Amino acid sequence: MGSFGRFLLKRSLQGVVVILGVISVLFALRYVTPGSPVDFIAPLDASDATRRRIAESLGLNQPFYVQYGDYVVSLLQGEMGYSYRSRTAVAPRVFAKLPATLELAVAATVVAVILSIPLGVISATRRHTGPDYAATVFSFLGISTPNFWLGVMLVILFAVQFGVFPTSGRPVGLLDALGHLVVIAGPERGWALPLNVGPFLAAMQNWLLHVTLPAITLGTYFTALITRLTRSGMLDELGQGYVQAARAKGLPTTLVRYRHALRNTLIPVITVVGLQLGTLIGGAVITEAVFDWPGLGSLIIDAINNRDWPLIQGSLVVIGAGFVVVNVVVDALYVRLNPRVLE
Amino acid sequence: MIRRLLDAVAGRLSPRTVQNLRSEFDTSPLTKIGVGILVVVLVTAVFAPLLAPWNPEAQNLDRSQQPPLGFTSAENQTTQETVDGEVQLIEETVQVNATVTHPLGTDGLGRDMLSRVVYGARTSLAVGVLGTLLAMLVGVPVGLVAGYYKGRVDDALMRVADVSLAFPSLVLAIALVGLFGQAAVEVPDPLVTTGLAAAIRGIVSLPGGLTYPTGMPETFTLPGTVILVVGIVNWVWFARVARGEALGVRDEEYVKAARSLGGSDQFIIRRHILPNSITPVLVLATIQIAAIVLLESALSFLGFSGTTLSWGFDIAQGRQYQTTSWWIAAMPGLAIVLTVIGINLVGDWLRDALDPGIEGEGGGV
Repeated sequence: MGSFGRFLLKRSLQGVVVILGVISVLFALRYVTPGSPVDFIAPLDASDATRRRIAESLGLNQPFYVQYGDYVVSLLQGEMGYSYRSRTAVAPRVFAKLPATLELAVAATVVAVILSIPLGVISATRRHTGPDYAATVFSFLGISTPNFWLGVMLVILFAVQFGVFPTSGRPVGLLDALGHLVVIAGPERGWALPLNVGPFLAAMQNWLLHVTLPAITLGTYFTALITRLTRSGMLDELGQGYVQAARAKGLPTTLVRYRHALRNTLIPVITVVGLQLGTLIGGAVITEAVFDWPGLGSLIIDAINNRDWPLIQGSLVVIGAGFVVVNVVVDALYVRLNPRVLE
Repeated sequence: MIRRLLDAVAGRLSPRTVQNLRSEFDTSPLTKIGVGILVVVLVTAVFAPLLAPWNPEAQNLDRSQQPPLGFTSAENQTTQETVDGEVQLIEETVQVNATVTHPLGTDGLGRDMLSRVVYGARTSLAVGVLGTLLAMLVGVPVGLVAGYYKGRVDDALMRVADVSLAFPSLVLAIALVGLFGQAAVEVPDPLVTTGLAAAIRGIVSLPGGLTYPTGMPETFTLPGTVILVVGIVNWVWFARVARGEALGVRDEEYVKAARSLGGSDQFIIRRHILPNSITPVLVLATIQIAAIVLLESALSFLGFSGTTLSWGFDIAQGRQYQTTSWWIAAMPGLAIVLTVIGINLVGDWLRDALDPGIEGEGGGV
């Protein structure tokens, strides 16, 4: 195994340990939470016998290590128990909400990357000019602004006053929109592809209109952060010897800036952005609340207001595990881009 | 503990550090702005009962949704009128003008926005400072022990930290507050209970013969659960920084000397490791206050804070009036932005002057 393989294996094992920790902490949290689950399920006038039966059906009469074992085993089988409120299985509900949150997170990241990297480069290459100061002020404001407030202000300005965007909601999902392009092919309808371009464009337009304000709301902090990082990274790199050497060789300035300097700048940017993914998910939760975006965040807040513990637990397991996995991927990417750290 | 911490801080401030802080302050206009903002916010928070023009909870439905100075708002009014013996409903649009008595306007229940913004500073700073202190008290010892002992202890503690980091802080915070309830502590406000506020307000006369309303809230609601939770959620950052410092210091000659002279681990950590790790911890604390102010506002916005006098809570209120009265959400938000900018500028100052080698920004809610 190469050194990269070894690194990946070690890092993945660490990730598994952390995920196990996440699961254990969530399991333990129920024990320190006031109130027994039976109280949430049993009717108020339930007899002691009924309450005991409910406790038994939940496995609460077992010693805690048996409960813990059952919990871990059922999680491995993709089961997360049943909601106290609606009595429906938790796992399908959590996974049904996942696409909306991922859409929002990806849209925000796209907004952030498209805006911030050029902004940071311009800021660094035209230091102490108008654009540089503008970018610096923008990024300082972006970092200091609570995103939910920005969201409310964007709604007041662009949805209420100008009526450009809808105030809230997500009537069409991105996958539904893309579905217009791909579902049609199949033996029963013939293999010809009558692309539903019309409905696809209509659905895409609808999705884009609804996602724009939430994506800006969630993406502004990251735009600001990456702009700052790109700017300071570029300034460091542009002062390096290899950049001067490349210029002295007669390479065009643009090439030196983008092929040499920017590439090296992006390595630390990727790490920091990876570390901030938790902030992205946390931000998504509150952005969803502002825009009634039907994702994991809205699910968690509803679940907490209803004290629906299995639903809270299930959502948190998915978020925690997803975060750990993404961090392993980011670390691997970082090592791939920058093999020196292995030595 | 706190006394020792302060001594450690003062003892650590070498003349060169003081010199750095001073020259950085003198040369950077942004630092002056930041310190200025922070002083204003601090004074506002402490002397809220003197500075708020009205009781922030006093409702007045006749004056609801008044615009801030410089703006007018249109309001649809329906009045009943009897014409030729028949009752008719007349709908008309009335211009509502701003008044000097409510410079930032009023909210949906006619409460004075300026007074609410002034009192909101208390909640934000109380949670920001107390939450950061708690996170520090938990995180710094854990980090120092992990870094000092290395090996198994370190591995175990850092895995705990990893688990803690696997949850986005806001998500963890709302889960904890949701589960443990929203206990709040009513703290008597000494400025009001001693009658000092009323006395001073009685002396001051306002231009235009306006009376200066007295009767401020006698207690201040401290959102206890929120402080606990933000402390629990953010301890891990302090643990990481303290660990890094301890790792760097543990093999220094003077630590070895202390060990060979028979100094106990506890003594060495307290006497040598802690004082030499304190600078980056302080810079981190500044950044954390900003992060926790943002976290608190987010929790209040979602209705999880247990107090109704908070900038985040008012933004949530303003959302219900977003089609008619933009200022209800706008004003408290501006207060948050200004406060966080102030703290971040001060953080930049400390970082530049003390150069502790940590990156980061208070933000991200």
